[in-house]
Amino acid sequence: MSIASDMIRGHTDTIILAHLMSGDSYGYKINRSILEKTGGQYELKEATLYTAFRRLEQTGLISSYWGDENTGARRRYYSITPLGVQEYHRMLGEWEQSQRLIQTLITP
Amino acid sequence: MEYRIREYMDQLFESAPRTQRAYELKIELTQNLIEKYYGLVGEGKDPEDAYNLTIMSIGDVRELFSQLEDDENGDPVPQPVYYPRPQPDHRRALVRTAAVMLFILSVLPPIVFGEMFGNSTLGGALGPIGMFTMIACGVGLLVYDKWAHPKDPQPVPGSVVKDFQQWQKQKLKKKHYIAAFNGAFWPLVLTLYFVISFGTGKWYITWVIFLIATAVDVVINTLLGAATNQNGK
Repeated sequence: MSIASDMIRGHTDTIILAHLMSGDSYGYKINRSILEKTGGQYELKEATLYTAFRRLEQTGLISSYWGDENTGARRRYYSITPLGVQEYHRMLGEWEQSQRLIQTLITP
Repeated sequence: MEYRIREYMDQLFESAPRTQRAYELKIELTQNLIEKYYGLVGEGKDPEDAYNLTIMSIGDVRELFSQLEDDENGDPVPQPVYYPRPQPDHRRALVRTAAVMLFILSVLPPIVFGEMFGNSTLGGALGPIGMFTMIACGVGLLVYDKWAHPKDPQPVPGSVVKDFQQWQKQKLKKKHYIAAFNGAFWPLVLTLYFVISFGTGKWYITWVIFLIATAVDVVINTLLGAATNQNGK
């Protein structure tokens, strides 16, 4: 599982962007949905997730804002920028290409 | 248990740089961890286990913190470094000065018209009319001044603070009526005091105006407060 984890971690940015493609979200919700999608097999470490958020925000692929929950607890939401959408499609294309290549290389 | 998570985060962030961004990150992370914790408890986990799982899930924060330090070292973080001081507003100063001058000069019409027409009805009427028109203009100017220049909160870096200010601004709006009234009220009282004192010459009693004015001030402020609160809801 650790090899798979390492591989997945290399695509943290794409995973986050993919989640934000379907609407704004926040840290816990994104991680939870990763957990659910993988059937409980994979979950990002909080540190990894928030490091990626900061990185993506600095490169302008996502933007963030504080939600207006009326209770004391306020969530920080992230939304994908047009540049992020563009970048997401590029990353997806890149992944599909390398996936095909690896597939041809590792099959005898 | 929520308190324990907060406590843990406090300790964890001791080594983080003391910046607005670090603080926001701490709030964000804590909030999400607490939600995660309750999620785990909701799934039927033992509180102690849920706490441990939550804390474990944080992982290695070194990279996260070093990122925060990079921010400090001059990375292009969209944060204003300084805030322009508010420039003195000449137009505003002019409006206020005009208002004060109107108050002071408002004693002139009774004197001038009194001299010109003696004790005739015309002089008797024109004096107060002139005086009160000038006072009304002055009050109008002061009220306009307060309305046109609501107190702007100073910008503070970081979005938590900004959001909070936005929320507070809505509250502040309610106070505009009260501020406008307060701005005009006391100059008006002072003017009235002098006008009546000079007019009647009964200085020994006219100071009562201030007592009455204080009472009126409190009553009107309370009424305005109640009215704006109702509007706000």
